[in-house]
Amino acid sequence: MQTLKRNILAVPILVWIGLLVGIPLIFVFGLSFLSRDSLGTIVFQFTLENYQRVLSPIYQRVFLNSLLLAFLTGAVTLVIGYPVAYITANLEPKKRALSIGLTMLPFWISSLLRTYGWMILLGNAGIINNLLLSLGIIETPLPMMYKFGTTLIGTAYMLIPFMIVAIFNSVDKLDRSLLEASYDLGASRRQTFFNITLPLTIPGIAGGFTLVFIPALGMFYVSDLLGGGNTIFLGNLINTQVTRGRNRPLAAAFSVAMILVVLLVISLYSRVAKDDREGLFL
Amino acid sequence: MRRQRFSKIVGILVVALLAITAVFYTGATVEAAGEINLMTWGGDFIPRAIIREFEEETGIKVNYKEVTSNEDMQSLLEANPGQYDLAVTTDYMVDILRQTDMLAVLDKSQLPNYANINPVYHGAYYDPTDEYSIPYAISISLLLANPGAVEALGADPITSYHDLWQKELVNNVVVVDWSVEIMGVVLKSLGYEYNETDPVKVAEAREKLFALKPNIMRFETNTPEDSLVNGEAVAGFMYSNQAVKGVQTKPELAPVFPTEGMPIFIDSWVMSKAAPNKDGAYQFLNFIMRPEIAARIADLTKFTSPNKAAEEYLPEDFKNNPMLNLADEVVENTSFYIGVEKVLDEYEHIYLEFKLR
Amino acid sequence: MTRKTSRFSAFYLSLFFVILYLPVLSVILYSFNASPSTARWTGFTFDWYRVLFQDRVIVESFKVSIQVALATAVLSAILGTASAVISMWVTERMKKAIQGMMILPLLVPEIALGIALLIFFNALRLPFGHLTLVLSHSLFCVPYVYVMVQLRLKEIDRSILESARDLGATTWQMVRTVILPLVTPSIITASLLALAMSLDDVIISTYMSGPRTTTLPVHIFSMMRVGVTPKVNALCTLIMVGMFFIVGLSQLFNNTQRKEGL
Repeated sequence: MQTLKRNILAVPILVWIGLLVGIPLIFVFGLSFLSRDSLGTIVFQFTLENYQRVLSPIYQRVFLNSLLLAFLTGAVTLVIGYPVAYITANLEPKKRALSIGLTMLPFWISSLLRTYGWMILLGNAGIINNLLLSLGIIETPLPMMYKFGTTLIGTAYMLIPFMIVAIFNSVDKLDRSLLEASYDLGASRRQTFFNITLPLTIPGIAGGFTLVFIPALGMFYVSDLLGGGNTIFLGNLINTQVTRGRNRPLAAAFSVAMILVVLLVISLYSRVAKDDREGLFL
Repeated sequence: MRRQRFSKIVGILVVALLAITAVFYTGATVEAAGEINLMTWGGDFIPRAIIREFEEETGIKVNYKEVTSNEDMQSLLEANPGQYDLAVTTDYMVDILRQTDMLAVLDKSQLPNYANINPVYHGAYYDPTDEYSIPYAISISLLLANPGAVEALGADPITSYHDLWQKELVNNVVVVDWSVEIMGVVLKSLGYEYNETDPVKVAEAREKLFALKPNIMRFETNTPEDSLVNGEAVAGFMYSNQAVKGVQTKPELAPVFPTEGMPIFIDSWVMSKAAPNKDGAYQFLNFIMRPEIAARIADLTKFTSPNKAAEEYLPEDFKNNPMLNLADEVVENTSFYIGVEKVLDEYEHIYLEFKLR
Repeated sequence: MTRKTSRFSAFYLSLFFVILYLPVLSVILYSFNASPSTARWTGFTFDWYRVLFQDRVIVESFKVSIQVALATAVLSAILGTASAVISMWVTERMKKAIQGMMILPLLVPEIALGIALLIFFNALRLPFGHLTLVLSHSLFCVPYVYVMVQLRLKEIDRSILESARDLGATTWQMVRTVILPLVTPSIITASLLALAMSLDDVIISTYMSGPRTTTLPVHIFSMMRVGVTPKVNALCTLIMVGMFFIVGLSQLFNNTQRKEGL
């Protein structure tokens, strides 16, 4: 009875989210087992053909593309973002707030427009090329657009604030006395970092990685704009199937597959961050 | 204590915000008698000036919802047929909506200006009885090239689809991003028809399609002409209104009407069966079918007008533009993408293989 | 460990911010571009700012976006904080259940969620517009508020709560006078994040808006079809400037509070 009294308040919350998310999820799951006729209307007949297609080799390559992009995005944001978070956490409080504020500020400009911003920068007739050409450093424009790397830059750019905030929280909570002790024992800064700071911030790294990985997996308009549509990602597939392909059941099947991948990543995360039992982001 | 005061301030702010937002929630979702709700493409597909004039003349407020695909329109219409009066949608979607019984039969007695529509557009495949749709904008897909740049690369001038396969054009071609269109290009270059289902011909098209991959630098459905304008590409396959913009920005570009044939698209107005303000909708349709209005619409949107009576009001440069004032031989060489549903899955699959190469 | 920033650190951080703001600056720069397309730069002009204010639809969609974003931020703040605070009291298993629920919305690809919600809300006969937009936006914002408030809650010294209890405070009083003030900074940060995410959302908003409610990003997205003109750049520049002011003001506010010995 004690348990019930303690838990009763949680019920409305569970009901709220459960309804709002659970029902659509069930719907998507159910839809993935149906098919559609030539007009796009749903045919209510159980079929596994969508999953058969999802598992076919050609779509596996698309999965790999997305996984690769998501993973590389995580890696890139980690390598670039960790120092930013670390340095910020060690700034004096006023500058620290400023740094975090500046990191989050670009968020306020539509991500679509910021992606256009990259197009302006990287295009053959873009700002960077114009600059290099007029300075005589190059003779013909550097082709930087419409490559896998361009999509990577755009995606990493959009998601790096999440990585930085996650790692920042982690570094911020470090017990300074541990570091003091390490120095007192004669360890160099480098040794201290690799032996103490880094391991202690692994939950933050894992959290940031997850926060970046998941959206990167579903990304599609960045690859359309910056990648020139040259590579197909999971998000493209789902989007195309919903619109041009008029095949919502197939899109649902891809969505389910994507959710499974995400669940896998999350379970890996909780394995890594098992010391921290409070939840996803530290 | 300052903390208390602070939380009081926050509390008041919260309540204030809630109050403001509550006011907006209760904003009428039922349409007032003097309003119509349209669904349309973004980017001034219906020129704002025209809408303002309609509103001023009739006192009817026009609300429009912008969507980015026909399928979105279908989803929204199916979900809320009673919230939308009119939608402008591409031919194949008119066909689908008609077959799924979403459309109202138009009462021509309320549309006297319908007589202005060019009879050549009557009886189209998607609306054989002309009861459900009013054509609004016509466009075709064609090639756009930069002849000087093509020559500089050592390639032959572009006169047909076939020329896109030239080795010299590697990484220099931009195309719209749709399986049906790209397969269409390949099929036509082989002398076949659109949406071919014969497995032998499709296999042949597939091989030829793969051979085109090295030449394509970018797939872009929204503004492919930009690539030609900034020199990234020397040739492209795109829609006529995009090609028009390209030539406007960079006059060295020239359109090419491939002799093998081109696709034609008609965007038409349809009325929802459950339209809340049918009277207002009829007034709007009648308004945009006025010759001077239709002419201005065509000029502003850069689409060919289906309105015959509008022709005398079109500006000179519009009439002289072969992409907008389509020559008869060109129109005869165009065809619709009929039967897309029969080939969609297969073409999407081939297209995916093509992109993954 | 010293808190002085080394020269390398300062350099790295500055370099990072330069690169972070390069695309932003490009957007701002091209709001003055005479040519309507980003394909080339043809000259400097203020025209787009003028055109922007005459454009009823953009201004309207911006208003809708702000209204939705504010409501979403408030709703998410309340729900997220409530969930986090309640999590303090429930059993371990229930807490895990709540956490699991919180992650759910983030798992589903937006496009799947959008369509599923479309059908769900439609079946409930909900009016499409501000209501459905706020409900759906809160879905992906509440988790972030929950997590950030949770973080701060963990740090609260239990002994403070115990002494409050000993002094005879009811649970509600404890929440109101001790817990809430302590987590307010987190709530505000998370609400700002929710605000930004709601303002930026495209995919879900496409399906959740009604005939008269287009949000700004959806409007921009649909403009893409014929090319995004610089008036959008102009609008985003103004938003940025506005945010600079707000952030700057809050910094000043924070500093004066600190000076007064809070």
